[in-house]
This record gives sequence, structure tokens and C-alpha cells, in this order.
Amino acid sequence: MLELAGVTVEIAGVSVLRAVSLHVPAGGRVALIGRNGAGKTTTLRTLMGLLPCRAGRVLIGGEDETHLPAHHRPRHGIGYAPEDRRLFGSFTVRENLLLPVQVLGLPAAEQARRLDAVFTLLPELAELAPRRAAGLSGGQGKMVALGRALMVGTRAVLLDEPFQGLAPALALRYAEALSRLHHALPEVAILITESNPELLRPLVERTFVIERGEIAPAG
Amino acid sequence: MAEWLGQNTLLLGLALLDGLAYAALVFMVAVGLNLVFGVLRIINIAHGSLFAIGGYAAASLGLFLAAHGLPGWIQYVALVLAAALVGGILGPVIERLVLRRIYGHEQVLQLLVTFALFMILEDVQKLVWGVQPVTNDAPLRLLGTVDVPFGEDVIPFTAYQLFVLPGVALATLGGLAWFLRRTLTGRIIVAVTTDREAATAMGIDARRVFLLTFTFGAGLAALGGALASPTTTLVPGIGASTIVLSFAVVATAGLGQIEGAAISSLLIGIGRSAAVYLAPEFEVVVPYLIMVAVLLVRPQGLFGVVETRRV
Repeated sequence: MLELAGVTVEIAGVSVLRAVSLHVPAGGRVALIGRNGAGKTTTLRTLMGLLPCRAGRVLIGGEDETHLPAHHRPRHGIGYAPEDRRLFGSFTVRENLLLPVQVLGLPAAEQARRLDAVFTLLPELAELAPRRAAGLSGGQGKMVALGRALMVGTRAVLLDEPFQGLAPALALRYAEALSRLHHALPEVAILITESNPELLRPLVERTFVIERGEIAPAG
Repeated sequence: MAEWLGQNTLLLGLALLDGLAYAALVFMVAVGLNLVFGVLRIINIAHGSLFAIGGYAAASLGLFLAAHGLPGWIQYVALVLAAALVGGILGPVIERLVLRRIYGHEQVLQLLVTFALFMILEDVQKLVWGVQPVTNDAPLRLLGTVDVPFGEDVIPFTAYQLFVLPGVALATLGGLAWFLRRTLTGRIIVAVTTDREAATAMGIDARRVFLLTFTFGAGLAALGGALASPTTTLVPGIGASTIVLSFAVVATAGLGQIEGAAISSLLIGIGRSAAVYLAPEFEVVVPYLIMVAVLLVRPQGLFGVVETRRV
């Protein structure tokens, strides 16, 4: 579903990713493990088209989409929950969730259907819906960011360090939500980044390890 | 003090009315500047040129229509039409040809480029309208004056400055707040202002939003100039004084604050005209004294929020 083939990315003249190859199959659950600064966020931003590739290709559904502008990713069914949530603070939770499908111009009935599906999967979001995003706790914000990614992520969601900074109880809830997601929507591929490899082991089928901008597959 | 007030009620009243009308004009320019900065992250020095060109275009169009014997109400249509033309033509041209090349570059470069643009537009304006004063006060005269009771005195004040200018500014404030909160396009603009990359990842084409916002901001500046044209004589340099004043308003309010821009426009507009009547030698410095006083206490501006980590 999503693939990086020999991708090199530079930020301000420094190679942050070096010939990185990574494959997320349709419906697959994949972890990308690495220390801070190893290149996890850069990998996801590259998949999202937010950074240009110096070499290599980005494939979406088998097609070469290296030069597809970032804002066309949601149209291809790819949702993204960036590090630090990055919600729009002055909007309510409902407005945050709806924005990507409104931008896509989906019919109102389809927007409502997707919102319901997200509320079913993440029931706490239904309660938070009328609240301002700026007033949420970190953990609540992560749930909203996951929900927002799912609104358009009909084929894949990219989750950047969703467990970082979550209290153990919240981390457990988040992990349960991911399991529910996989059972309810098995066709949606999930790519999660994390620094602690143990945490994701029960949730994923495949793990990639990234170190100093290079990836070695590790089962 | 009471004696002084007794002698100067009339002056105070005039300063208040004048300040209100002036604040309305400054607001129109400052709010556009603010919107453009919020989305494009560029401080557009040439924003003042759009104000000036909007004013000249409106005056010329008004004079042209009057010379052809068209009815008076056409004058008001001409104000809006001239602003829409200036914003609608110059906005996209500037955004596409100039600004698009400097997004994300260092601020020094951006300032230099928009300053260059300002100088070019200032010369274009002299080329088209010359250096002789241009004036068309028909829209002002047509509405006549109103007697405003003030204490025991009555102040005759033009209805245009009393009602039209503050009315348009209020409508702009309310309309903009409604647009940004209630419409999808407005929410898209707010999303790009808040976090451009996150907005892009949500499917928003930031470049289109840049073009739209800049054109809209240019239109607001031009409308400010068009509305100002009946109340003043247009001369070269009018753009420069406007932009500097609206920078003071934006800095006082805090960047990204629309309601705040309205309040600091009032503060600076009334402060400035109070100086004009009561201590004319301080007219030029009063807006900046107000700005400095506010920034000393609140460096982020009256309504600004301390910016949290953006990247």
C-alpha cells in the first residue's frame, strides 16, 4: 500500500534519510522503531509528501507518487496523525475531525457516516466533540488526532509517536483503540513510530528499525 | 482640570469624532495586514501602496463618473468598485510574480523584497497620477453634515465620517469574524494560519489559500484607501504614512488578532486625533508612544497569545 524505495531526504543540506526502503502492505500493521532524531518523523513526513526526496521513489498503492503534492494524500485515503497532535486549537473537536472530509468535498451524508464510524471506534471523542481542541489534555488530543487521521485514512494511517508522553492507563486505552480499529477496519494499513520496541510488539506484524537515517528490517 | 475641560469640550468632542472616523480607516488597513501576515508569514510593506492606489483609483473613477453627469449614488459604488479592481488585479499579480518566490525565506529578504515592491508601486502611482494632489470629496459632500450634541455644544460633523466609515469598519469586523468561524473557506484560512503543515496534511492546498488571502487582504487595503479618499487630499507618500501607522496598530493588538486590531485601531486613532487638537506637536509620535507603552507591559501585544512551539 505504502512504500519507500531507496529514498534519500536532505534537510538544510544534511541527509536525514539515506536510501531508506520500507513497505507497508495493504491492511498491514507496521512499526517503525528508532531513537529520537533517528529519522522516524522524517520518514512519515516524506511518505506524506511534506519533504522532497533527493533520490528514490514514494509509492502509493503501487503507483509512483513521489511528486504528488502533499495535500493530495488524503484523496488517496491516507490519514496522518503528526507528532504533538497538531490540532487546530480554536476549533472544536468536531470541527477538527470534519475539516479533512470537508476539504475533500465529500457529501454531507458521507461526512456524517465517517464521523459516526470514528465515534463508534473511539467513543470518548463523541463526548469531547463540542469542546475546543485547545482545552484538551495531551492524551485526549492524541485520541482526536487519531480520529482525524481516520476520517480520511480509508487505506492507511500514519501515526507519529502516539504513545509518547501518554500515562500508562491512557497508553493502554490507545492500544485498545488500535486493536479495535484493526478488527473493525482490517483493510486500513497502520504505520506507527515509537522509540520503545517492546510497547508495540503485540500490536504489529512487522517492525522496521531506523538508526541515523538508515533502515534495517528486523522481522 | 474641570475648568480646562469646560473650555475644551468642543475640542475633545471633535477629537473623539475624528478619531473614530480615522480609527475605522486604520482598521481596514491593519486587519488586512494582519490576515496576510497570519497566513503567508510575510510582513508586507507594500500593503500601504495598495491603500494609496485604492484611494487614487477611487478618486479618479469618482471624478470620471461625475464628469459624465452620472447620479450621486454612483459615487459610492465607485468607491467599492475601485477597491475591488485594485485588490482583484494587483493582489494576484503581486502574489504570483513576487511573493511566491520568497515564501519560507529569511525575514530580512522578505522585508527587502516587499520594501522594493513598495518603492516600485509608489513610482507607478506617481507615473499614473502624477505628483499633483488629487481630490474627490463628492461622496463626503453628498451626505451632508449632522449636528452632534456634545455637552452644551453642537458639533457639525460629516455624515460620511460619522456613519459610513465606522459602519463599513464594523461590518468588516463582523463579516470577517463570521467568515473565519462559520464558513469552510474561513476555517481553511484559520487552519493554515494555525499550522500550515498540519493543514496541508489534512488536504488543504496552502498555495491557493495564500493567493486567496493575499488578494482579499489587498482588497481590504484598497477599500481602506478608497473610503479615505473623500476625506483627504491624495498626495505621494500617503501609502507610507498609512503602513507605518497600521504596523503600530498590529503590533499593539498582537499578530493574528482581528478583534484586537479593532480595539487598538480605536486606541491609536483617537489618541492620534486627540494629539492633533490638543497638542499638535505630538501628533506624529502619539501612536508610537501608545504602542511602546503597550509593548513594555505586554510584549506580545494587548491580545496576542505567547506563541507556543510551532514546528
